[in-house]
Amino acid sequence: MYRSGFWGDLAKYRTLLLMLLPGVLFFVVFAYIPMAGVVMAFKQYTYEGGIFGSPWTGWSNFRFFFDSGSAWQVTRNTALYNVAFIVVNNLLQIVMAILLFEVAVKWFRKIFQTMLFLPYFISWVVVGAIAYNLLSYDYGTINVVLKALGIEPIDVYNTAAYWPALLVIVSAWKAVGYGSIMYLAAITGIDTEMYEAAEIDGANVFQRIVKITVPNLMPTVIILVLLAIGNIFRGDFGMFYNMVGNNGLLFASTDVIDTFVFRSLTGSNDIGMSSAAGFYQSVLGFVTILLANYAVRKYDKERALF
Amino acid sequence: MQRTRKSAFLLLALVFVMSLLLAACGGKTGKDAGSSASADNGASGTPSSSASASAPASNAGNPDTSKEVKLKMILLGGKPADFDQVWSELNAKLKAKINATVDVEFLDWSDWNQKYPLKFAANENFDIIYTANWAYYNDQALKGGFLELTDDMLQKYAPQTWATMPKVSWEQAKVNGKLYMVPNNNVEVTNKIVLYREDLRKKYNLPEIDSLESYANYLKTVAKNEKGITAYGAKAADGWKWHELDQATLEQNNDFHVVDTRVPMAYKLDDATGKVFDIYETPEFKQLLGYYKDLADNGVWSKNVVSNKNDVWQDMKAGKVSSYAQNIGTTAINMEEARRDTPNQEFMIADITPNSKKISAISTQNGLAIHATSKNVERSLMLIDLLQNDKEIHDLTMYGIAGTHFNPQGDKQYTPGPSASNYTGFSNWGWNSPLNRQDAQYPQEANDMFDGWQSKVYHFPLETFVFDDTKVKTEVANVSNVMLRYAIPLEYGLVKDTDKGLADLIKQLKAAGIDKVQQEMQAQIDAFLANRK
Repeated sequence: MYRSGFWGDLAKYRTLLLMLLPGVLFFVVFAYIPMAGVVMAFKQYTYEGGIFGSPWTGWSNFRFFFDSGSAWQVTRNTALYNVAFIVVNNLLQIVMAILLFEVAVKWFRKIFQTMLFLPYFISWVVVGAIAYNLLSYDYGTINVVLKALGIEPIDVYNTAAYWPALLVIVSAWKAVGYGSIMYLAAITGIDTEMYEAAEIDGANVFQRIVKITVPNLMPTVIILVLLAIGNIFRGDFGMFYNMVGNNGLLFASTDVIDTFVFRSLTGSNDIGMSSAAGFYQSVLGFVTILLANYAVRKYDKERALF
Repeated sequence: MQRTRKSAFLLLALVFVMSLLLAACGGKTGKDAGSSASADNGASGTPSSSASASAPASNAGNPDTSKEVKLKMILLGGKPADFDQVWSELNAKLKAKINATVDVEFLDWSDWNQKYPLKFAANENFDIIYTANWAYYNDQALKGGFLELTDDMLQKYAPQTWATMPKVSWEQAKVNGKLYMVPNNNVEVTNKIVLYREDLRKKYNLPEIDSLESYANYLKTVAKNEKGITAYGAKAADGWKWHELDQATLEQNNDFHVVDTRVPMAYKLDDATGKVFDIYETPEFKQLLGYYKDLADNGVWSKNVVSNKNDVWQDMKAGKVSSYAQNIGTTAINMEEARRDTPNQEFMIADITPNSKKISAISTQNGLAIHATSKNVERSLMLIDLLQNDKEIHDLTMYGIAGTHFNPQGDKQYTPGPSASNYTGFSNWGWNSPLNRQDAQYPQEANDMFDGWQSKVYHFPLETFVFDDTKVKTEVANVSNVMLRYAIPLEYGLVKDTDKGLADLIKQLKAAGIDKVQQEMQAQIDAFLANRK
């Protein structure tokens, strides 16, 4: 029987489509259906009305964020921190993955990989406490050592200038293990014949890395970075809140959209205003990923996400 | 290639249409839920109206308890280890008395303030919930989360409470003239005092602590001479927007009263017109900043106080901190605990504003409310009545099982039992009443101080005024944020140039819209006062 068109394809690829189904269902249930909830950003939420029956209020829920005078600052902080995290973390992850790949001794590689991975599983609450115990002015380990050596202690928690670097370091410490394993998997997938051929042609280790490993990693890098860019306006709340807390002295350089909104609205519990802030982040994220994807398409059509 | 792409598009379109359909269905159910909730409201309104209809005829008629019901109650705090044991005993008694049992869900201290509003927003099924002026009482009452309680309902289903509770307590619990909670029945003074190390004071031969100056003297001496002890401890990182001494040094010392702790607006206690002003712009505040700056520069509190996440009392018990500010009830319990556990440190309480007017807690300091959509309103009220006024049940729920968790001493006192620590730490204060017992070990100093205050308790017309922020939510959120960001570091002396810091703070508050908050608040206060005449 001759079949063609949509239904024909559906029958032909039924196994593949079936495999796709759980993923599609996941996004429909957890991403598309809840999307109807964005209406909350434009409503004055009441218990009687619920999500869809509450009265409309137009743009007034957005006023809080833009009237605060901090909208630009926190948006900028969020984006800049995420750019720094993406660049630094990916670079370190790639370097680590290549180093791990080149290390011949298997047991050493395994141990090192596990140690690198460990911070990923430590919750931000614990990391925040560790950081405080290391860095606090009066009794922090680092400052106690400095004082014992006769050096002036560092007042980390009252000096905003240290924080961008500190946060980037902590983020890298936590993320490098996880990412490097993804990149390691990608490197392992590179055709070994290329390496053998290169070796026969007399290429040294560095040439092999630069000419084979790195170019072959690029598609993975682009996909991971593009995915990360979609979240560029979402601050890692767990990280910022647990590292910085409610320390007003540090807000100028550490406040991101998520912490700002949390702090401002925990007192009033206004669901509409919180939704408005979330909606703002989503729209910005959506626009950025469209732009990034467009740029990648310009550069190389094959490697764009869509 | 072309075709697969087309199919892919079709598929995508299909998914999208499906999700829209589903969303629409979801929308419908949402609407249904909403309307059924309001239907419930109507239904739960009926018992009250029927009660009011029948009340005049037969007030003595016993409520119908023939059908057994299971009540659900939400309390704050960590679930005590022996809770189930105690409350299964309670349930046996309740079954006999009102043919009901009760199930309790706990909202832990660590995240109750995030979970609490969600219980209402999601319209979860529960009957009774702990509430207080510091635990969303006004917020939820205005949002329609609680059931309105009428006099008739209370007379009929909570007769003992109705008889025992002073009229003024009911009045204080009203929001816009309507009652939504059964407040606790307890006299409490909210003034803040300080807890300090008496042994250190004696060691350095310092004068009695009875003023801001003598307290500063004590703190600076400890900071200077006791290495390894932080003189004053505060947990500034938990989002409170004031210096922890402010209530004593700023409000009590000047007889100011802050209207709503989320905004820096206050009035003078003896000002009958209730004129509100920005407390940061007063000369008193400027002077206080000098006081704080001096303490900070002398190393009285940690330079990192704004990041401190430790529990201050635990640090004090461990000998790492020498003083902090709290209310009389908490500090008295601290003293009692320390006398038992760490007898090598001698703690003492002191009132650093002895001549100030004392303010009694309004009844909404603790209480229980009924969920707007509860289906067991009558039995819930009967339970609250028993919790607050039935000696047997009150003792059981407040202190646990006699002989295990507490040993009764007469009718008014008790001593902790062998496993007292397994039944404590949650919000059973919601049904505080004259039946409360006092720990026989309760420090005499605290009782003396409290007795001395009784004559100074000051009542004022705005005592029960509560600010409704509906119209200025945006501004309140932004002002709160400014306080956290600029006022806290300034008050803890972390800003080098105090004058510039204060100017900055005031400028930022103006930008955040404090004037609008002030206008709105003044309008509400004027209306409130006009209504009372």
